[in-house]
Amino acid sequence: MVLIQINGKMVKAHEGEMVLSVLRREGIEVPALCDHQALEPGGSCRLCMVEITKADWDGWTKNVTSCLYPVEEGLIVSTHSEGVLEIRRNILDMLLARCPNSDVIQKLAEEHGVMKTSFDTLPDSDNCIMCYACTRVCEVLGKSAISAVMRGHKKVIASPFGDAPPDCIGCLSCAHICPTNVILWKDENGKRTIWNKSFDLITCKKCGKETISREFADYLLEQRDIPADYFETCDDCKRMELAFKMGGLVDGAEEVAI
Amino acid sequence: MTPDVKQIQKIIDQHHGDKSALITVLQDLQRKFNYIPPEGVTATAKALDVPLSKVYSVATFYSTFSLVPRGEKIIRICQGTACHIKGADLIQEQIEAGLNIKAGETSSDMKYTLEVVNCVGVCAMAPAVLVNDKMHGNVRCEKALKLVK
Repeated sequence: MVLIQINGKMVKAHEGEMVLSVLRREGIEVPALCDHQALEPGGSCRLCMVEITKADWDGWTKNVTSCLYPVEEGLIVSTHSEGVLEIRRNILDMLLARCPNSDVIQKLAEEHGVMKTSFDTLPDSDNCIMCYACTRVCEVLGKSAISAVMRGHKKVIASPFGDAPPDCIGCLSCAHICPTNVILWKDENGKRTIWNKSFDLITCKKCGKETISREFADYLLEQRDIPADYFETCDDCKRMELAFKMGGLVDGAEEVAI
Repeated sequence: MTPDVKQIQKIIDQHHGDKSALITVLQDLQRKFNYIPPEGVTATAKALDVPLSKVYSVATFYSTFSLVPRGEKIIRICQGTACHIKGADLIQEQIEAGLNIKAGETSSDMKYTLEVVNCVGVCAMAPAVLVNDKMHGNVRCEKALKLVK
């Protein structure tokens, strides 16, 4: 356990823990777009910047990304100092220029008092902020189907050769984790399309609802100790089934379940 | 040279599936074929047990790697600060007009590829032009085309 001070309040933190996770636990709101509990901290959006100092720093302060800065004894953190807010406004100013059509960025910028970007906006912006959340989550899943392609201002997140990525299993993790909702997919007539690749969706044997892609189910079955028919029914039907089973124990549970 | 699956495999196998040799493998492939054939990217990923997306990411990141076939003669015009000041633009114009291709393009007969690079490190001899890695310094506009043809 280490003791740190956040905005004047003494707070206990675990050793090796990052400052942002302490802030989250304490309910102190700091914007962060690339941070996700499923991922290692990436530090790419820079919005979680905080000001740190220590009693023996003679009044010197330092601005760090809280998602990447481990706590240490006696650390003094301020999350909303004028300097930090100014940095956040600058970052949002740039993000707004890069993603002029993104609702998420617009809202966040407005909240911080950035109504309009002071830079030229990027023409034909796809709203991607290059946070790598999608490629990182794909790697965590063990697939690495997509990656950054090219570099500098030409850099985009894409599949190899722009074709249907051979390693993609249609799990939609990339699309769901994307903070600015850039990655598009479509579920239609029992087919899922993402990254120009088409997948067969499993339909629930009981209610006929479409659930996950066949490739994703196969991958999970291969990775985890799951009964082979687990994905043949949807979550709702499984819950219903369980409720009926428990109905034997409780009177009137059948009506409740239905 | 048309890429041959066996040749590609032979080059890749020289590195015995060593993941850390990824860039070296790509360099070897490029040296042999003058570009990295797409089959080579796929085969490298498989042989080194590195995700295809990662290999593709590396192959597109470095500007020295090319994924499209290039001409027999690769002409690199230096547009670094010193060469730029010394009129590399004019040399580029001359060569572009003479070969009838723009920077980044390859002539349809696959003879010439024109590239623009940012500094080749011989600023004292600006403006510089590289033809198949052979350096030509103090290039003059009127002689530029002769150098490359």
